[in-house]
Amino acid sequence: MQPFTLNYARPAVQLEVISPYAYDSGLQLNVFPDGRIAATDHATLRALGTTTSTAGSKTHFDD
Amino acid sequence: MTVLILTSDEDVTADMVVLRLHETGAPVVRLDPADLTSGVALSGEYIQGVYRGHVSVGGRLVSVNGLRSIWVRRPGVAAARAAQPTTWLTEESSQALYGMLRGTDARWMNHPDAARRARHKPWQLRLAQRSGLPVPATLITTFPQAAREFAERFPDLVVKPVSGAHPQEPPRAVPTSRVAPDTDFAAVAFGPTLLQRRVAKRADIRLTAVGDRLLAARKAVAPDADPNDVDVRFAPSTSTWAPVDVPPRVGAAVLTYLKEAELAYGAFDFAEDGDGIWWFLECNQSGQFGFVEMDTEQPIAHSIAEWLAHGAEPGRTYVNGARRATS
Repeated sequence: MQPFTLNYARPAVQLEVISPYAYDSGLQLNVFPDGRIAATDHATLRALGTTTSTAGSKTHFDD
Repeated sequence: MTVLILTSDEDVTADMVVLRLHETGAPVVRLDPADLTSGVALSGEYIQGVYRGHVSVGGRLVSVNGLRSIWVRRPGVAAARAAQPTTWLTEESSQALYGMLRGTDARWMNHPDAARRARHKPWQLRLAQRSGLPVPATLITTFPQAAREFAERFPDLVVKPVSGAHPQEPPRAVPTSRVAPDTDFAAVAFGPTLLQRRVAKRADIRLTAVGDRLLAARKAVAPDADPNDVDVRFAPSTSTWAPVDVPPRVGAAVLTYLKEAELAYGAFDFAEDGDGIWWFLECNQSGQFGFVEMDTEQPIAHSIAEWLAHGAEPGRTYVNGARRATS
């Protein structure tokens, strides 16, 4: 029998987002191909939702 | 003295803090425990009463005795990306890394023991009560009859996971959801169930605590919002987060909570009701903050960097961004 709480479950939204930036181990920051630092581009971060409180994370449940 | 950040490469929220640390000139080493033993290396020796240890990543080598602070942000599972990952290697690597770091005098945000305890929602609810925060009537039970009686007493209920975790096989999300009045509670017997009186909220509150600095943000619920959209993470919304002052009694209670929980960082979620009361929902000991900072321009990343690089000034608290003496 299914636990009561799971009656309220819904399929997790699996967003396959390809980040337009990559980690630079020298800077210890994520940067765009043109060298700009990702953390300063709030418009892109908002669009990707990468800094947002989420649900359904596989690795971190307390966000 | 170096700041050590344990997080994944793709953690762009951590970048916001690394940038601030770079501005202050504080030495930073960032690594993901998942990269032990491919990219991250460690060594520790305990000889004649002396402990020395080093960690290296990306050409950087840091003495563990030279660590000022350790920020546990979003670390991967130790050795998950090793050439031949195994459960045994993960345990070995985790014990080696965290065991060595625990042997230092560095300050933690947050200490793994405190973090593990702080994840327990039932413990959070009790600590919130003891700290003086209003907590909505809550029941955690496997007794269907207890659930029925609770529903008779508090007819307007929500249900949410006790742990905050979400089932992965298959991947599903379990948002906080309203429970219909005529619900059959028989399935409560098949898993611990958290039922809570629904707060008819006019706003969601996210209070981010960094050391003694409290920064709160408010997101108003639209007058025409669907009352079934309880969970702000899932509710459609066009409104943004805006800074809001922390009521003095709430601020004092939150500081008590943090002290008792031994947390240096906490992201508190409240529901603000029609009377302006902030009802405690939970405290995420590693809660996200980037989305709040981008909306409100509150100096959360700066505050974290300041705590990691310097630490809070003893005897001072920071409420609503203003510094005040506590004694």
